[in-house]
Amino acid sequence: MAEPAIALENASAAYGDRTILSGIDLTVRAGERVALMGRSGAGKSTLIGLIQARAPERVALVPQAAALVRPLSVFHNVYMGRLDRRSTLHNLCTLVRPARADVVAVEAVLARVGLSEKLWARAGELSGGQQQRVSVARALYNGRPVLVGDEPVSALDRAQGGTILAELAAGHETVIVALHDVALALAHTDRIVVLEAGRIALDAPARSLDPGRLAPYYAAA
Amino acid sequence: MIRRRLGRLALGVLAALAAGPARAQGKPPLVFTGIPDQDESRLVERFGKVARYLEDKLGVPVRYVPVKSYPAAVTAFTNGQVQLAWFGGFTGVQARRAVPGSHAIAQGAEDAAFKTYVIANSATGLKPGKDFPKTVAGQTFTFGARASTSGRLMPEYFIRQAFPGRTPEQVFARVGFSGDHTRTIQLVQSGAYAVGAVDYSVWDLDTKAGKVDPKAVSVIWESPPFPDYQWTVRADVDKTYGAGFTDRLRDALVGIADPAILEPFGRTRFIPVTDAAYEPLVEVGRATGLLD
Amino acid sequence: MHPAPAGLGYAAVSRRFAAVALVCLLVADLHVTTLHPLADLARLLGGLVRPDFLAVEIRSVVYTVAFAVLGVGLGVGAGFLLAVPFARSRPVRLACAGLRAVHELFWALLLMQVFGLSATTGILAIALPYAGICAKVYAEIVEEADLSALRVLPPGTGAVSAFLYARLPETAARMRDYTLYRLECGLRSSLVLGFIGLPTMGFYLESAFRQGRYAEAGALLAVFYALIGTRRLWVRGVTLPVLLVGAVLALPPAIGSADVGASLTRFLGHDIVPAPLRTGDPTSPETWARLWAWFAPILTGQILPGILQTLILAQIALVATGLGALLLFPLTARRFAGRLGRPLGRVLLVVVRSTPEYMLAYVGLQLLGPSMLPAILALALHNAGIVAYLMGRHADAIPYRPDAPRGLDLYAYETVPRLYGQFLAYLLYRWELILRESAIFGILGVATLGFYVDAAISELRLDVAVILIAATAALTVAVDALSRRLRRRLRIDDLPTRLSGPQRIPCAEPGGG
Repeated sequence: MAEPAIALENASAAYGDRTILSGIDLTVRAGERVALMGRSGAGKSTLIGLIQARAPERVALVPQAAALVRPLSVFHNVYMGRLDRRSTLHNLCTLVRPARADVVAVEAVLARVGLSEKLWARAGELSGGQQQRVSVARALYNGRPVLVGDEPVSALDRAQGGTILAELAAGHETVIVALHDVALALAHTDRIVVLEAGRIALDAPARSLDPGRLAPYYAAA
Repeated sequence: MIRRRLGRLALGVLAALAAGPARAQGKPPLVFTGIPDQDESRLVERFGKVARYLEDKLGVPVRYVPVKSYPAAVTAFTNGQVQLAWFGGFTGVQARRAVPGSHAIAQGAEDAAFKTYVIANSATGLKPGKDFPKTVAGQTFTFGARASTSGRLMPEYFIRQAFPGRTPEQVFARVGFSGDHTRTIQLVQSGAYAVGAVDYSVWDLDTKAGKVDPKAVSVIWESPPFPDYQWTVRADVDKTYGAGFTDRLRDALVGIADPAILEPFGRTRFIPVTDAAYEPLVEVGRATGLLD
Repeated sequence: MHPAPAGLGYAAVSRRFAAVALVCLLVADLHVTTLHPLADLARLLGGLVRPDFLAVEIRSVVYTVAFAVLGVGLGVGAGFLLAVPFARSRPVRLACAGLRAVHELFWALLLMQVFGLSATTGILAIALPYAGICAKVYAEIVEEADLSALRVLPPGTGAVSAFLYARLPETAARMRDYTLYRLECGLRSSLVLGFIGLPTMGFYLESAFRQGRYAEAGALLAVFYALIGTRRLWVRGVTLPVLLVGAVLALPPAIGSADVGASLTRFLGHDIVPAPLRTGDPTSPETWARLWAWFAPILTGQILPGILQTLILAQIALVATGLGALLLFPLTARRFAGRLGRPLGRVLLVVVRSTPEYMLAYVGLQLLGPSMLPAILALALHNAGIVAYLMGRHADAIPYRPDAPRGLDLYAYETVPRLYGQFLAYLLYRWELILRESAIFGILGVATLGFYVDAAISELRLDVAVILIAATAALTVAVDALSRRLRRRLRIDDLPTRLSGPQRIPCAEPGGG
């Protein structure tokens, strides 16, 4: 059995005196592909934050907002995924004149999300969907084994979203993503964790579930 | 509550301070100034003594107002803020041209034949001589204040005579205006400027005060004599303080015999003088382009 | 491979400014003409840290505050009235541009000719330029305000009622903040006026610096910083009437019996009239030929070289300000300075920005001699302090992603790129102010326009002085217009540039697409 990639035991979170999460037990083994689901406000983003904080040195993050530096080029935004693994001097030089090898590597990653022709465009000039794909590319380039994503394909259509999720799965050993699209979740992950009011309401293999089973958690409150 | 109390306190303090200087009784005070040609502490000393002396002699309140620059002294005179001023030769000419009816009344005994010293830092190796030292060409050079007679007007005139057709900026590698004579001596002594032009009386005063290092700076040329400092008075004092006031003022100044007053001026005594004594400076002013 | 750098507009503009500044550095006079600047500096610092508070002339502190309160009060009042027709009336806009394009010290030098060394000179020298600035800023504040309430007022509501109900409440807070900031500037202006002879703290600071009484200078500066640092305590709604009345009562008594009417007539009717026009018949072409013969050497010998040197100094100082701000702002940003370092950084920058640049330049020129070097240092230090302080606040407002890098990587990849548009907006805004100050530094001996103004005043050629000051104002207005066009082209003209009080600064991430 593979060792756990992420392990939370009785984890909780609160903003001030408002409880967001409580009694969360979640163990994700290496190699698993997990979808976090639930209504908005159920605590998905907070749980994503907890997971990222648990093992930041093994996590590649796709934050909810694309969080790009808009005045910088797409290349530099993707390159930022590995800032911590290069010397500061190299990073500063890259701002002025990128090394050929880095450009090739980043270009290859961008090709996987279908954006290689935007290498030198300004991030701020891209559309919302393109910005989200740059954010994904940054995580892919980061390359750490656990991909943690907060709605990483929310701005994309279902077909594109599927491609991106497949790329994420191919590029990282373990994938934990918050999703709201049931069909995408069922098709691209092997375990579904549903949150409701700050607790885990359902935790089951994806193949044992169907959209009907998940519908109650999305019914109008 | 506290705010209000603070506010009242502030008002009290301000009001108390406003009442500070007692306003003069009866006749308005005679206000005078002097061009700030050297160390301010020396100016305050000498003019403070003169104010007390004149108050005593003339029976009217006398106040000295310090200014920060030569033109500020002239302006205070032209717009009537001061009625009397200790001007340099050139600022006196400027002031009398701007205020019709004003006259020079007294000068120091030394001012009839005043001199400029050209001083040099010893590192230049320049030697004293009788004629204007043409070897100064190419050195850095500092004047005193822009409107100074012995620190600007006359030296500029002598430089233009020694180097016909050239301005000081063309003769020297760099030309500065130190602002006053004390500062000129300091700058040349420190080597910041190689050569400078300085009022001989300030040079003597500073030498006596031990402020001059003879190993670092020395006089290399002494100019021909020219008229310089004088007391100039506005015509309206006779109206304000009674007919004959100008004469009483002149007599009072000429009558100063106390060495404690004369010494900080670097003068042995004051003597009567008329505007005509300064006619040569008008010519020099025109020749150097400083006067129209 | 030539990667088109990110933020093409920003990078290109920055490169061009830096390149011009480099060229300027090559031709600028950076000569140090004193021999022991470091020893003098050590003496200066030694005196500053051992302030001699007994030497402080209390009256000068009172006069400094009184001139500032009344000057700013008058300027703000006039500015408020002028703000009403500002948007509609081109003459009013032009008049305001002219008022604020002339530096307080130039105003004071001109006013001194008429009002002498008096409270009137001090107050008007502050009030005139501040009226021009306040009119513009108040008009902008009203313009920018959310006016949805105005649109739903019942038709037929009077203009005054509409203003009081729908406009003023929306804008009052920002106007108050800006006015308080103006008072801080007014205190600085008031101090600096002492350097040319008015009885404020600058009068004694000038003497103390000139004669090396650094302990006295240190005490005066400490008092001044305390005044500025505590201004929120003593400038409040309730103290305002007290301050105004107190200031009037505290004004220095008039010196001598200057006849203002006669002086004004002489000044306007004779002194500032170009010399050839004073006597000549204005209808004869010969007079105009003489006027040109009079003007041509002023143009070629003073105005043009003065403008060139002023632009050179301003250009170098602007780029140095930018570099300084980029270096200094991390001192006040939480992510870089930490919770403990940040307050210290803030204190440092507040002290730097509270120090009038004219005084810094004066001290620098005493230490280094009359070249551009001390002027550049003074301008860069003061303005970098201001810009860095504001940048630090923007930096703290940036929403970084959870896995953002740290240290220099964070600085270079996240913080600076995100703040760069805001940074350029501040710098381009300060360009005009740096230029105005560069011209003034001529009075201290740098060969900018002020140098020739000082010469003209020394020679009692007020007609020449006025023409030179007008040229300075025209140059300032031109640079202001250029700066505004650049800001518009870079699409950063809607970012905040005003340096008023603690208003909420929106997260500045310039929109690109």
